[in-house]
Amino acid sequence: MSEPEIKPDIMRISWGPQHPMSGQTRILLDVDGEIVHRLIADLGFTHRGIEKILENRTFMKGIIPIERMVMVDTANIGLGYVLAIEEALGVEVPERANWIRSMICEMARINSHLYAFGLQAEATGYFPAVFLWTTVDREVLLDLFERLTGARWSYNFFLPGGVNADLPEGFQDKVIEGIQYLRGRFAQYWDAMVENAIFEMRCEGVAVLTREDALRLGATGPVLRGSGVDMDVRRDEPYAAYGDLNFKVITETAGDSMARLKVRFHEIGQSLDMIEQVANEVPGGPVRTRAPLFARAKPGEALSRVETARGELGIHMFTDGGMNPYRVKINSPTLRNMYVFERLAELDEVLIADVPVVINSIDPWYLDSDR
Amino acid sequence: MSAVLALLSSFILCAIAPLEIAGRLITEIYNWFISFLWSLPGWLWRFFWFNFKPFMQILIIPGLAFILVFAIIVVWFERKFLARAMLRVGPYYCGKRSGWLQLFADFLKLFLKEIVIPYDAQRAFFTVMPVLLPTIPALAVVLIPFDRGWVLFNAGSLGLPLFIAIAGLAPLIPIFSGWASNNKYAFIGSFRTAYLYISAEIPLVMCAAAVAIMAGSFDLVEIVEAQRALWYAIPQFVGFIIFFLGLIIEAERTPFDIPVAEVELVFGWRTEFTGILFGFTMMAEYVGFLAWSLLFITLYLGGFNGPVLFGSPLYSHIFWLILKLAVLVPIVIIIRCIFPRLRMDQMLRLGWYYLTPLAVLNLFIVMALKLWGLA
Repeated sequence: MSEPEIKPDIMRISWGPQHPMSGQTRILLDVDGEIVHRLIADLGFTHRGIEKILENRTFMKGIIPIERMVMVDTANIGLGYVLAIEEALGVEVPERANWIRSMICEMARINSHLYAFGLQAEATGYFPAVFLWTTVDREVLLDLFERLTGARWSYNFFLPGGVNADLPEGFQDKVIEGIQYLRGRFAQYWDAMVENAIFEMRCEGVAVLTREDALRLGATGPVLRGSGVDMDVRRDEPYAAYGDLNFKVITETAGDSMARLKVRFHEIGQSLDMIEQVANEVPGGPVRTRAPLFARAKPGEALSRVETARGELGIHMFTDGGMNPYRVKINSPTLRNMYVFERLAELDEVLIADVPVVINSIDPWYLDSDR
Repeated sequence: MSAVLALLSSFILCAIAPLEIAGRLITEIYNWFISFLWSLPGWLWRFFWFNFKPFMQILIIPGLAFILVFAIIVVWFERKFLARAMLRVGPYYCGKRSGWLQLFADFLKLFLKEIVIPYDAQRAFFTVMPVLLPTIPALAVVLIPFDRGWVLFNAGSLGLPLFIAIAGLAPLIPIFSGWASNNKYAFIGSFRTAYLYISAEIPLVMCAAAVAIMAGSFDLVEIVEAQRALWYAIPQFVGFIIFFLGLIIEAERTPFDIPVAEVELVFGWRTEFTGILFGFTMMAEYVGFLAWSLLFITLYLGGFNGPVLFGSPLYSHIFWLILKLAVLVPIVIIIRCIFPRLRMDQMLRLGWYYLTPLAVLNLFIVMALKLWGLA
């Protein structure tokens, strides 16, 4: 990246990729004392060419690399690609498979939001206690994933035409047990973070994004809903079993870092309810219709939208009649939110101490934005 | 002929006499040295005996051993205790599950590591400043009375002002070393240090002044003696709270560890220090903590006062002071896992809007009490 010019009397700090809170990106801060005048996100350090890789794989094999985009949220990303394949190949999905898909997606969303809480606590200067609590509580979900799919992180469980396997014996009871444990723990997180006086001081009113700006800049996910825009793909264009599940779309009107955090908090409550509903009411029947392993799609286009933990993921797949997709365009949520992040210093006063809070309120995953 | 003989004999004398003198001299020196060796233990013993108190004060309490042992125990406690808060077990393998040897291993590692001096850094400042850093708070510790007669340097009525003057030098070193590091993060961190100390030290000094007014003396021993009946924490509760916060600020501990905020400024003004230079900065943190904790106990928690135990006022006084320290230090450490870090502007607001007016209020209350003869 060619670096933009620096105004006089301004110091430019290179924040990352070796900075403790930068992740795999570099952020350039133009600072005047403690006040940040400009934020420049220098993305692309982890570009792996996933879109190109997908062109060289058959439809089925593409599921494996695309899940590497967001490791804490592999289910939602993988589902987006699988939905696009199903649309391209014209495969039907049984009812039970859809419900199982929704359950796994919600569990992955909780997993991802837990990570976001931990990092947000760390960003405010919390001693890493909360971060490690989230890491420990994640084990409950990871054990459930392991029991169901055989893997703890990257499941490859969704296949065109359904899911890989049925729920194991007694899985629903384990799920409900885990949910009850997590509900108790989230009450503690609420006390430790949202109710904590200094945490409130650090997060409330920081980097306010108004409703108009959020829509204009194309924010998505909790960032958009934290600014009061009622928008969620799960409700607006139901996929999997979301049409049958009862949930509310959470919005907060404040638009600051705390509002984004609260949106994640309440979304987790909704996710837990949904998982409980699936565990109690999952319909019977087969979990997979057999789709051919090496299928040829008709020439055309397929589009899928899913709501991942970070926001809306769009996958636009072009097929030319071969066994591989001709072109896959991934519209990743982190990239859209990073555009918002770059404008936040212009919209509201941001100090150096706020930068980690702001970046983690976006909840970025740079492998997602760089693809 | 006689002249020749005289010349010859004088020549012989001149040649031999020095030898004889030298021989006697050597014998003398040898004898003296042997007698010196024989009497050396006696001399050493006498020197030690006549200077027993200074020796004990410099080497044991409140000197080298006390400061080092304090730093070691506090670091160990902090690592083990905070690990529990984080659902970990902390250092485990070195030293029989309690992990106490881990500290020495870490110190050895720091000691053996290469010292990297960044390009364009001010070499002299960069290498000298971290070494100076633990010295200044350690210098302040010598003024703390452990008993009426057990003060390493009894400055009399200069005790309290001298302590604040010496401890007030401490923020200069982060500022210099931040500038000397030639690093933007270190530079910002050093300026944060300056802001932090300015906003903290004014209320601190006012509270100390209130204590001095109440005791009627700047002498730390007199201040402690004046608390024989009632600890100043009770009549000066406001000052007690302000000084407690000020202690955490001065020790740069968590709600106020703004200059070294890891997630914001990598490691603040310490970013570029490596190896033993970094070790010195870590040690300075704990020595400063010790110095301000001791002053806090001296001013508000009755210092060395306490019931006489072991049949010896000296030992019991030292015991009570260390016991109070052992209660205070964990409280300050626990705060670290309860609160996130304040922002710079919030810190300044706390210092100037709340602590300073309250300190003035505290001062006026104490003056009024003194005026009406209530204290």
